[in-house]
Amino acid sequence: MALTIDCRMIEGEGCWEIKLAGEVDIASAAKFRAALTESYDSRPADVRLDASELCYIDSTGLGVIIGAYGRMQANSHSIRIENPRANVEKLLHITSLDKIFCS
Amino acid sequence: MADTLRLTVPGKPEYVRTVRLAISSLAGCAGFDVEAVEDIKVAVSEACSNIVCHGIKGQNAAYEVSCEMLDDRIVIRVVDQAGGYDTEKYREPEAGALREGGLGIFIIKALMDEVNILSEVGQGTQIQMTKYSRE
Repeated sequence: MALTIDCRMIEGEGCWEIKLAGEVDIASAAKFRAALTESYDSRPADVRLDASELCYIDSTGLGVIIGAYGRMQANSHSIRIENPRANVEKLLHITSLDKIFCS
Repeated sequence: MADTLRLTVPGKPEYVRTVRLAISSLAGCAGFDVEAVEDIKVAVSEACSNIVCHGIKGQNAAYEVSCEMLDDRIVIRVVDQAGGYDTEKYREPEAGALREGGLGIFIIKALMDEVNILSEVGQGTQIQMTKYSRE
């Protein structure tokens, strides 16, 4: 399943909502990185990743989130992963990334 | 004798999905539950991505994936001829230390029941991973 990414600025909250649908893997991670970077650079703000329709992610996709988080931290911005499916939640748990992105 | 599926895969990112779908389909047919199939799917992808990212170079480069179906387990081998690396130098990511890379092998070891990595510098690398069925 191809990856679709919908980025929008929630003006009321002053944060980005980025909705991922499909699969993030080695073939689509660059597209995800580009969308995340482009949004954030156009207007640095907190990011909410809506993962409710994200069917699959692996270390390549998690690496994109970790990389973005590193850059955002310098500006005291955060990134949150919301509504992950069970398989995605399991991966976040075993890598302990849930403590950073889901708490 | 156990049935074995063998794939020769071009070392390009777009084929990793094909491999994980083929292997996870096989695992599903073999009776693994949904969670185990997901584990196998991610582990296989990580092994393939590792090769595509770090190992294999060149237009015609390819790697091999085999999947052996035994009564109580599935054994998957992902093998490349990409020159190998010194496995002694691999360090598991420390908890709390965020790195963009290096998570792949850690994830494979967490999701599969047995994992063996054989790498010979100058030759190649084989990642062998086993998942047991729970019945």
